[in-house]
Amino acid sequence: MKRFISVGIAVMVVAVIAFAQSMPKLKPGDAIPSSVVNVKMLNVNGERLSIADVKGPKGTLVIFSCNSCPWVKAWETRIAEVGNWAQKQGIGVIMINSNDPTKSPEDSYEVMQQRAKERGFAFPYVVDATSDVARAFGATHTPEFFLFDAAGKLVYTGALDDNARNPEAVRERYVKNAIEALLAGQPIPVAQTKSIGCTIKFRERT
Amino acid sequence: MRRAIGMIGLALVLGLAGAGRSEQTRPPSARPQRDGAPILPVTAAELLERVRDGKARVTVVNLWATFCQPCVEEFPDLLRLEKAYRDKGVRVFFVSVDFDSELPAVRRFLRQQGVDFPTFLKAQDDDTAFINTLHPEWSGALPATFVYDAQGRLRHFHEGKGDFALFERLIQDVLKNPM
Repeated sequence: MKRFISVGIAVMVVAVIAFAQSMPKLKPGDAIPSSVVNVKMLNVNGERLSIADVKGPKGTLVIFSCNSCPWVKAWETRIAEVGNWAQKQGIGVIMINSNDPTKSPEDSYEVMQQRAKERGFAFPYVVDATSDVARAFGATHTPEFFLFDAAGKLVYTGALDDNARNPEAVRERYVKNAIEALLAGQPIPVAQTKSIGCTIKFRERT
Repeated sequence: MRRAIGMIGLALVLGLAGAGRSEQTRPPSARPQRDGAPILPVTAAELLERVRDGKARVTVVNLWATFCQPCVEEFPDLLRLEKAYRDKGVRVFFVSVDFDSELPAVRRFLRQQGVDFPTFLKAQDDDTAFINTLHPEWSGALPATFVYDAQGRLRHFHEGKGDFALFERLIQDVLKNPM
């Protein structure tokens, strides 16, 4: 009986620790976290920008991404297409790399600059120098997309589309569909999706 | 139809022919196949069917990928767990979510680790459906580990890197409290 209780307690402790380490992911209707909306982050062009700086008149698309993840690489051309297109529609776009480059060397600032140039990102690609922006959003892996309306309320979160590995087999372009609905003042067809991706390599808290 | 043909083709590529005999933990005396143990393509629903086949007291499902550093780091602990508990009715289903193009790297890694029992490769493009079928609480981040009891009921779920002590506590809980 005593062993039952001790195992039970151990399992509960593990569960509590796991829960305490995970941050709640933003849900549709949530606002851009006020704790990080004005955090300045280094862009690949040397400027320092916050999410507030890039807010668009019709909404804001925040993308958590990186250089190193195969899922990101599979989607990267499509991320550039959708991000560049969204910006032209009056949606502010910012792509954030929250990975600690000491844990993931391919996520260095220099590689970010190179990648932005190669892929033709017309939107900022910035460094989350403490990983706290990702923590505040409850972002867990890359790539993850958060679309906010003009009032700063989350209207879509999840994957870019429904097929990372094969662009030709995509049936649902979640982010594009959500932006089109937002621009047309229509309900968002699918407000929440998921994708497998690479865990964000969070910087240690000091 | 095209999907069915594709799946058959993939199965052949992955060496399904040698896999049909048993998805169970191999007896310790059995020798691994020359080209490594089979890697079977699965959807989430197919995976759960296997989990619910009633052939183990505890099934640990671990979602991993070669590019995922925490997955690679925890892998030996799960393998040690499988070896320590296979005789007690515990099995581990390793499910790689690598892209098909990474199959050689998957094979190489499994061989290096000395995996001598069948493992799995995610064969379902729609991530949302795959993730939610396994567990709606799973964000999709890797690694992710699910612990099922003999009836195929999910008893524990852990997102992120674990270690031997954690996994052992979870399976011991199921072994001691079968419900």
